[in-house]
Amino acid sequence: MAETDMPSAPRRTAHERQAEVEALFTSIGDGAISTDEFGRITRVNPAAQGILGYSEDELVGTWFPKKIIAVSADDVPTNLIDRPITKAFLTGRPIAEKMFYRRQDGQEIPVSINVSPILLNGKPLGAIEVFRDISLEQEVDRMKSEFISLASHQLRTPLSAIKTYTHMLTDGYMGDLNEAQNKSLSTIVGATNRMNELISTLLNITRIESGTIAISPKLVKLNELVEELMPELELMATAKSIDLKLQLRGKGSTAIKTDALIVKEIVTNLVSNAIKYTPDNGQVTITIRPHRNEVQVEVTDSGWGIPKFSQDQVFSKFFRAQNIVKRETTGTGLGLYLVKGLLDTLDGKIWFHSEEGAGTNFFFTLPRTLPNKKSSSRKKAKA
Amino acid sequence: MARILVVEDDHDLNNAYCIILRHEGYEVVEAFDGQEALEKLKNFEPDLVLLDLLMPIMGGLEFLKKWDAPKKHNKVKILIFTNMENSPEVAESYKFGASRAIIKSWTAPHNLARVVTDTLQTSDDAKLPA
Repeated sequence: MAETDMPSAPRRTAHERQAEVEALFTSIGDGAISTDEFGRITRVNPAAQGILGYSEDELVGTWFPKKIIAVSADDVPTNLIDRPITKAFLTGRPIAEKMFYRRQDGQEIPVSINVSPILLNGKPLGAIEVFRDISLEQEVDRMKSEFISLASHQLRTPLSAIKTYTHMLTDGYMGDLNEAQNKSLSTIVGATNRMNELISTLLNITRIESGTIAISPKLVKLNELVEELMPELELMATAKSIDLKLQLRGKGSTAIKTDALIVKEIVTNLVSNAIKYTPDNGQVTITIRPHRNEVQVEVTDSGWGIPKFSQDQVFSKFFRAQNIVKRETTGTGLGLYLVKGLLDTLDGKIWFHSEEGAGTNFFFTLPRTLPNKKSSSRKKAKA
Repeated sequence: MARILVVEDDHDLNNAYCIILRHEGYEVVEAFDGQEALEKLKNFEPDLVLLDLLMPIMGGLEFLKKWDAPKKHNKVKILIFTNMENSPEVAESYKFGASRAIIKSWTAPHNLARVVTDTLQTSDDAKLPA
């Protein structure tokens, strides 16, 4: 029968609508629990019983936040005020979150939760929570990270050999070279550096997104850390006749407790970006300023700048400014997304000022001490 | 002149590090996995171990645990030379006596020589993770 031949859909009676809701509630694959306005469980669907290991009789009538224990990634029971259902009641808005639920057998399972308050004329009648077991997704994430980590390592070993032997040639370990030989070797070094950056970016983004980035805080002096990077950065700057300067402004120590390798990646990324997006014979300056509770680093360039209309997208994944995509074809649009992610893991902040045609100043700060980080990866690693 | 044990399974890289460090005047002995490193250490007392982490037979972390570096050899500097940046293995190596970790594929030979010299000059107090 064609759609047009069908009689118009009849209006459902209250009973029919109830049967429809009933079928929906029992047939959906995600766990669903409804409560009254006090948070007492009124109904539980079969999927929820399967995920939590409780029968309907064991759940109905109990107080939801007490009966179903939620824990954080660190095994700490979630406070009532931080439970999504409480937040939905308090705000009157739908809440979406991820946490762990403790099953009846004590096993903790990662769940993705959506709670909506049931409102009638603005008055709360209860709430409906829909949740889904995301163990499999997390396992796939973990396997993906492991694969990328291993693949990156395997890709890097031959790259390290190429880079090391090329540098041994340019550094004179095997005798003097003529200008053309040196120039060719510089091209090889440049290409291996680009490949290394790509692998590094890929690896780090995977680690940040999966919450498995490892942080090793140690006491370091920020100016010394940046000085260590200068020979490599100067090589990049010299290739474009860019004047690269490092300066320390203000008094006080630049000592901070942080992860030196991550900071090096942040600085390398910002400075290589500045060099890449500055025309030949320009200027790039790194300024370090110690403050009381933090140390600030500024990377200033005299480059092409970022157009005003796209400045709010600068830290987005795959963002590349329209004014530079034609000039510089090698970028991935991942550099600043990565820098922001790395700074977040170190409790740092980043911002910038930019004017098209005049240049860009990127600023970032790092706290003097790094508080004990919550290990968001612990349960994933255990899985 | 200081004595260095290079532990790296990739023959090309191991050979390169030995050339660079000998060129700088260091006395260098090479091993290609943790097991061989333990063997070599029976007759060689290094001032610094340049150590890869991911190696066949015995990896760098297992080597550090077996050798018991923090307790028995706390005067020896351990420089981790790996391509696994920001990995849990690097974080763990600090617990077993590593002074510093650097990324192989980022490090040019002149920088390797400089980092080795710097690490050898670092005082033992600075070696402990802050």
